[in-house]
Amino acid sequence: MFDLTRLIHLSSGADRDGVLNEIRTVTAGAEHALVQPTLPGVRNGGDILVHLRFDNFDQRASVAAEFDSVISSPGIRHIDGAEYLGTPHRGAPHSADAVYRTLLLRIAPGTQDDTVAQFEEDLRLLPRFVPAINAWQLSRVESAVGSVPWTHVFEQEFASLDGLTGPYLMHPVHWAFVDRWFDPECPEVIVRDRVCHSFCRCPSPVLSPG
Amino acid sequence: MSSGEVYVVDRVITRPGRAKEFVDAYLSGYAPGAVDRGMTLRNVLVSPPIWFTDRSNVVTITWTLPNPRAWWEMTWRSRPDPALGQWWTGIADLVEERTRTVAAAAGDVDALCDV
Repeated sequence: MFDLTRLIHLSSGADRDGVLNEIRTVTAGAEHALVQPTLPGVRNGGDILVHLRFDNFDQRASVAAEFDSVISSPGIRHIDGAEYLGTPHRGAPHSADAVYRTLLLRIAPGTQDDTVAQFEEDLRLLPRFVPAINAWQLSRVESAVGSVPWTHVFEQEFASLDGLTGPYLMHPVHWAFVDRWFDPECPEVIVRDRVCHSFCRCPSPVLSPG
Repeated sequence: MSSGEVYVVDRVITRPGRAKEFVDAYLSGYAPGAVDRGMTLRNVLVSPPIWFTDRSNVVTITWTLPNPRAWWEMTWRSRPDPALGQWWTGIADLVEERTRTVAAAAGDVDALCDV
C-alpha cells in the first residue's frame, strides 16, 4: 500500500466546503480517500486533512495531476504532507465516533540509526497501552512537502475524540516514557522541529490491513 | 481523570569540582521559570554531600506536579520556549552527563494507568 497525507492550510476567506468538494471529486480514484475538515485542537494541523491510499504508484499517478492542481489553488496558503509505504495494524473494529489522527515529525539530521530504531519501538508501545487506539500505522517518509522534510508519520484511529484528548494524553506511557524524544529538556530529544498534530472525523476505516 | 502526583527528576553528574556552581546556576537560572510553569521544588540532593574540588558529584533534583494534566500544561508552556534548551546548552561545561525521568509513587501506578 502507498499512502499520501496532506494537511491543507486555507487562506483567510477561502471557501472551505468548496475546496473539500473539489478534493473529494478528484481523489475518487484512490483506493481509499479521507478528506475532512480538521477538528478544533489541532496544532500546525491545517484546515483540511487529506489521507489517500493507493494500491500502487500507477494509481497515485492517475490521481496526481488533478489533485495537485486543486491543492495549488490560490485559496490554499500552505501544505504539509508526506508520501510513504504504510503497514496498518488494527486492534479493534471501527467505531461510529472514530477520529483519525496523524502526526508528522522530523527526526534531527545525524541521529544514529539505533536511536531511531529505539524511538520507533517506543512509539509502537502507545497502542499497546492505550485501548482507545483502534488502529495505527507508523511509517518512514519517502517524500515530504511543507515546513520541514518530515521523516515519520504516526497515524491512529481512536474510538472517539475523548480517546485522543483523554487516555492517549493521560497514560504514563505517553508523558513519562515516549515524550522524552520530543522534549527539548530531555537529553534524549531527537524531534526538535515543530510537529504537525492533526485530526478529523473518520466515517469509515482508514488504517485497515490488506 | 488521573490524579496521582507526578515527579520530574533531574539527575546530573557534574564535572569534577563544578557541583556547587551547577547547583547555584540551577537554582538561580532554571528554578524560577520552572516554578512559573507549575512545578514545585521538592528537594536538591548532592551525593556525596561534599563540594569536591577534583571529583564529580551526583546532583538529584526532584520536582512535583499535582497530576498528569499539570505535567502537560507545564511542558506545553516550556516546549515553544527556545530559551530553555539554550539554558541546558549553556551549562554544558558544568555537566558530565544527565538524565530527566518522570515518575510517580508506586501506590499511584495502577490508578495512573487506568485511563
